[in-house]
Amino acid sequence: MKRFVYINDDEASKEVMNQYFLLIACLQLWSLITPVNPASTWGPLIFIFAVSASKEAWDDYHRFLSDKIANEKQVWIVKHGIKKHIQAQEIQVGNIVWLRENDEVPCDLVLLFKCGKKWTHTLQTAALDGETDLKTRVIPSACVGIDLELLHRMKGVLECPVPDKDIRRFDANMRLFPPFIDNDVCSLTIKNTLLQSCYLRNTEWACGASVYTGNQTKLGMSRGIAEPKLTAMDAMIDKLTGAIFVFQIVVVLVLGVAGNVWKDTEARKQWYVQYPAEAPWYELLVIPLRFELLCSIMIPISIKVSLDLVKGLYAKFIEWDVEMIDQETGTASYAANTAISEDLGQVEYILTDKTGTLTDNKMIFRRCCIGSIFYGNENGDALKDAHLLSAITSGSTDVIRFLTVMAIGNTVIPVRSKAGDIVYKAQSQDEEALVIAAAKLNMVFVGKNANLLGADESILPYACAGQQTRTITEAVEHYAQLGLRTLCLAWRELEEDEYLEWLVKFKEASSVLVDREWRIAEVCQRLEHDLYILGVTAIEDRLQDGVPETIETLRKAGINFWMLTGDKQNTAIQIALSCNFISPEPKGQLLLIDGKSEEDVSRSLERVLLTMRNTTSEPKDVAFVIDGWALEIAVKHHRKDFVELAILSRTAICCRVTPSQKAQLVEILKSCDYRTLAIGDGGNDVRMIQQADIGVGISGREGLQAARAADYSIGRFRFLKRLILVHGRYSYNRRAFLSQYSFYKSLLICFIQIFFSFISGVSGTSLFNSVSLMAYNVFYTSVPVLVSVIDKDLSETSVMQHPQILFYCQAGRLLNPSTFAGWFGRSLFHAIVVFVITIHAYANEKSEMEELGMVALSGCIWLQAFVVAQETNSFTVLQHLSIWGNLVGFYVINFLFSAIPSSGMYTIMFRLCSQPSYWITMFLIIGAGMGPIFALKYYRYTYRPSKINILQQAERTGGPIVTIGNIETQPRTMEKEVSPLPITQPKNRSPVYEPLLSESPNATRRSFGPGTPLEFFQSQSRLSSSSGYSRNCKDN
Amino acid sequence: MMEVEGSNTWMNRSPPPQSSFVRSKALYQFKQQKLPACKPVLTPTSVITVFMLMGFVFIPIGFVTLRASRDSIEIVDRYDVECIPEEYRTNKLSYITDSSILKNCTRYLKVQKYMKAPIFIYYQLDNYYQNHRRYVKSRSDQQLLHGQEYSHTSACEPEESSNGLPIVPCGLIAWSMFNDTFTFARESAKLKVSRSNIAWKSDREHKFGKDVYPFNFQNGSLIGGAKLDPKVPLSDQEDFIVWMRAAALLSFRKLYGRIEEDLEPGNVVVVNLMNNYNTYSFSGQKKLILSTSSWLGGRNDFLGITYLVVGASSIVISIIFMLLHLKNPRPYGDNSWNKKSLSS
Repeated sequence: MKRFVYINDDEASKEVMNQYFLLIACLQLWSLITPVNPASTWGPLIFIFAVSASKEAWDDYHRFLSDKIANEKQVWIVKHGIKKHIQAQEIQVGNIVWLRENDEVPCDLVLLFKCGKKWTHTLQTAALDGETDLKTRVIPSACVGIDLELLHRMKGVLECPVPDKDIRRFDANMRLFPPFIDNDVCSLTIKNTLLQSCYLRNTEWACGASVYTGNQTKLGMSRGIAEPKLTAMDAMIDKLTGAIFVFQIVVVLVLGVAGNVWKDTEARKQWYVQYPAEAPWYELLVIPLRFELLCSIMIPISIKVSLDLVKGLYAKFIEWDVEMIDQETGTASYAANTAISEDLGQVEYILTDKTGTLTDNKMIFRRCCIGSIFYGNENGDALKDAHLLSAITSGSTDVIRFLTVMAIGNTVIPVRSKAGDIVYKAQSQDEEALVIAAAKLNMVFVGKNANLLGADESILPYACAGQQTRTITEAVEHYAQLGLRTLCLAWRELEEDEYLEWLVKFKEASSVLVDREWRIAEVCQRLEHDLYILGVTAIEDRLQDGVPETIETLRKAGINFWMLTGDKQNTAIQIALSCNFISPEPKGQLLLIDGKSEEDVSRSLERVLLTMRNTTSEPKDVAFVIDGWALEIAVKHHRKDFVELAILSRTAICCRVTPSQKAQLVEILKSCDYRTLAIGDGGNDVRMIQQADIGVGISGREGLQAARAADYSIGRFRFLKRLILVHGRYSYNRRAFLSQYSFYKSLLICFIQIFFSFISGVSGTSLFNSVSLMAYNVFYTSVPVLVSVIDKDLSETSVMQHPQILFYCQAGRLLNPSTFAGWFGRSLFHAIVVFVITIHAYANEKSEMEELGMVALSGCIWLQAFVVAQETNSFTVLQHLSIWGNLVGFYVINFLFSAIPSSGMYTIMFRLCSQPSYWITMFLIIGAGMGPIFALKYYRYTYRPSKINILQQAERTGGPIVTIGNIETQPRTMEKEVSPLPITQPKNRSPVYEPLLSESPNATRRSFGPGTPLEFFQSQSRLSSSSGYSRNCKDN
Repeated sequence: MMEVEGSNTWMNRSPPPQSSFVRSKALYQFKQQKLPACKPVLTPTSVITVFMLMGFVFIPIGFVTLRASRDSIEIVDRYDVECIPEEYRTNKLSYITDSSILKNCTRYLKVQKYMKAPIFIYYQLDNYYQNHRRYVKSRSDQQLLHGQEYSHTSACEPEESSNGLPIVPCGLIAWSMFNDTFTFARESAKLKVSRSNIAWKSDREHKFGKDVYPFNFQNGSLIGGAKLDPKVPLSDQEDFIVWMRAAALLSFRKLYGRIEEDLEPGNVVVVNLMNNYNTYSFSGQKKLILSTSSWLGGRNDFLGITYLVVGASSIVISIIFMLLHLKNPRPYGDNSWNKKSLSS
């Protein structure tokens, strides 16, 4: 039962990185080529491995502790008729485990005996699926009536399927050996099992045979490690790291060749160097390898560790956020995946489930239609409709039957609470609502007793011939338009022999090991004919608080919404309308794709696509609606067209889709290189959530399955706004800075080494001593930047008011090759400043190596402190502490080393700090290094401001917050330079809006924000075309 | 220019502060990312002021440092060419490598300005790669401190041992020690020159052993530079200690001694030197420098000039920004300016 599996998130890139550093560290051991003490690489390497190892050890330790508790828990097993106490970890498959009330089930068991009635709710499965209701568990038929005394003599065979994580299925068989039952096969279902980590309730004791233990239990299997997700930014950083690596190789080759040439021409004349006339075979390699070691710091060894730390903190911020705590249930948000928070800021598509996600999933019975009479139309509440009440009291057959079906056609379990009230526990919220309503209409449902109820479309075809279904259909339509969920109630009386015949078939079907569900469904269908339709119920599923606002804000932020629901089309559209998903007629346009056959769908798809292409130039809200059937065909046969449609459409409603179709849609969007976020609450959303770049689960009423599978779980849909706009955006911004800065500081010191090599005979001498090199990356420069984790460029309110600002993150504006080039240039400039000033100020009699190295290093430290300060948008105490405290720390550390007589830099720092020229040099380096950068920043900030800058100015000068939404009326163009799919686009477009990149199908995509259409980022086409990057062009 | 943002709602609710409360409040603010923060704004006024101020600070500093640099008087005399007799000028190498020739040479240095004692005597080597990796690593700090008993001197290759015996001090740096010597006189009277205290005190006391004596030094087939007196411990051989502090630059000065008398303008300092050190094979240069020192050190105009340049440019930048601002005034947060300027 031990589980010490640990897989690191981005292990692939990490692996390469680690191997690289290890190779460098090994090369360092060759003293001929090592520029400094090998400790300069080994130290940080060991430090960094120690940090990540202790992080993992910490996690493992906690896991170990909880495992230990679980493993060493005492349980009773029955062996040879004697009850024995053993540790949970010693349970073996086949042991008979004895449980008492309120015991936790230690492993997956098949129930054999239990105290009390056959039908009782006995199992609380909250730990497994989050559903708080009690589940019924029954003894297998084979065991019924066996005397408990014979327990130890029981022998039998249990045939179980291969362990899986499906907690709703257990297709097994049991055969007991004589003398118990004459070798009859008894089928087992999930109803006969007690699953690990559930609690036994309402039953004094129970006995079960263990079938799965350890990691093979349903819980153990479902715990499985989700596939690691790589964020867009990770991919970009990996690419940039690759680029830097190539640059490093080039530098090494150039300097290596130059070094060898210089050695053969110049160094031979330098008699004091004593180059030997003949050299060993590897002589040519020595200088390049020395430069490889010198330049190895170009790839910052600390980047992964600091990123991991920072990401962990982002995740914590999400969990700590009090504004994302669901006040009703008190559930806070939870970040299961700590590694992907910056991806939240880059979301382009949100695929959302409807029921329970957008809506409350609190079903309330509102209206009904019995026979042909509508109830509850006037006041919207059938329960208070006087006509219905009087119909009940008068005992109208149809009404009574209707209520009876409402009350019993379900799987609801009535629980009599201590106060004597009856509480209904149901797995389906719809059913619960119906039973509660029926109860209110004096139809109290006390015991469990077949009748039918189902979605209208499935029932209507089975209605008995001759019955008038028109009213019913109308009623269904009518209710659906009101956004209500409808169920048809039908009824048929069964003859005794018909029932018995059916029962045999049913039993047969339910003991099949393969395809059991399907077989049962088939058998059940045989009953469903000639139904008498009683009426229609309408249940309201209220929208969650703040859903329309959330959707509107996120759509303004440029995020496209797709609604994927299992519900029917009309309801879906109504909900979509009511939550701002689509606009009503004049502004919005709904395009329907339907059809039952391939041609129908194909034609319909063509038509919609054509309309879509034509309307892209108009600021109109176009959405397409597709149902599961048509989707199946469209994806199968017209994938190309459908993908184009997906790219063109900002909104889509897919109704009647299956869980796997949901996942398929995510897959399609991902294949177009969009960042997708899937949000859902139920088990049917799990696949979609796992498939998407980011999965968000709502820990709602349909259980915790979605929340468990998700990367983030939140209490309410409206928190999504905050999750994306605040947390996602900040994470992205901060990490963009952090990672580029990490490269900046590494390059800075590396450039200085390179420059120094030009004046040291290209021989690979290090200007800096081992201590400095070691501490530079790990301490001096990594501490201040960690605090950027609490930096905020804009206040949360501004971001919420101007969600358009998210575009900068979506398009990857803050981390891409061109911003990286800026940082590269900055480090080059700073290296020049530091190097030139140092070698001139410390020329002649001051040119002692250790001193010069320390002067250059101090220059770097000062500059990087000011760079961090300049890039910080909001200074809190922590920022000041870390930036300036780090400077103090630098001097303290160096004073300490300068006080050790055996260290190379003995007294150096004291000497330097007592010289006025040192401080004057530092001041000059800061002035010359930061002046131009500061001027450039100010110029950009004021005269070429980004929208972020404008909002900053507005918010900080306390001026009126401008509505940037109103600036332009020109529609926004979302550039997509290269589409991964070969899609051609008609070229006859309105010349006024002709985008720069007319070849791309997405170039004409506009913002049809429900608010004002706006040209928010007018300069983006220019930028993107000149720099060669843009959103969605991540792989070119 | 600054604005403080705090968590208003929280602070309004807060009871009077106590120490644990303050801590928990700070923690709460941290967790909610709502620590009070000051957000600097780059307003034109503040930026123009900053640059103006920078100019006004840098220019005076520039003048002061330039003044300090000019205050130190220095006399530079390159002697490596002049000290070769005419007949050897075409083949300097044969002159310098011929150990049978006595390589004395006399230089006359005219003092232009009054120089106040102490006047530092430096020798300067140009185009000399003391920072070459092969060179700079070729030493053993442990041996310098502990002597022969320390035997892990592989770094000293190729000057680790000769004739099967270890060399103390080992390594290329020690082996190639500068060996030109100078004596100074003024109008036939010898100048008072101090040759002690030229090395760092810390080096003498902690880096070079008091009981480490040169051993087997310059005994090999190749003779590099100066020889050391085997009877004097390394900690007292100050020339050697000075030489062992490798320079990071191609051209460097090392302290030779101090003249402890003032020099008047018009004085002629007669330098008798032994031109032993070979810089001819790699076209290096040798110079003799007499220099006084100001609070900033020797004469070096670089800092002063750079300060002036940086200061002047920041004033220019500040003026440019001022003009830009006057020509194109724009209230902050407004964005209704000409779009063409953006998209061009």
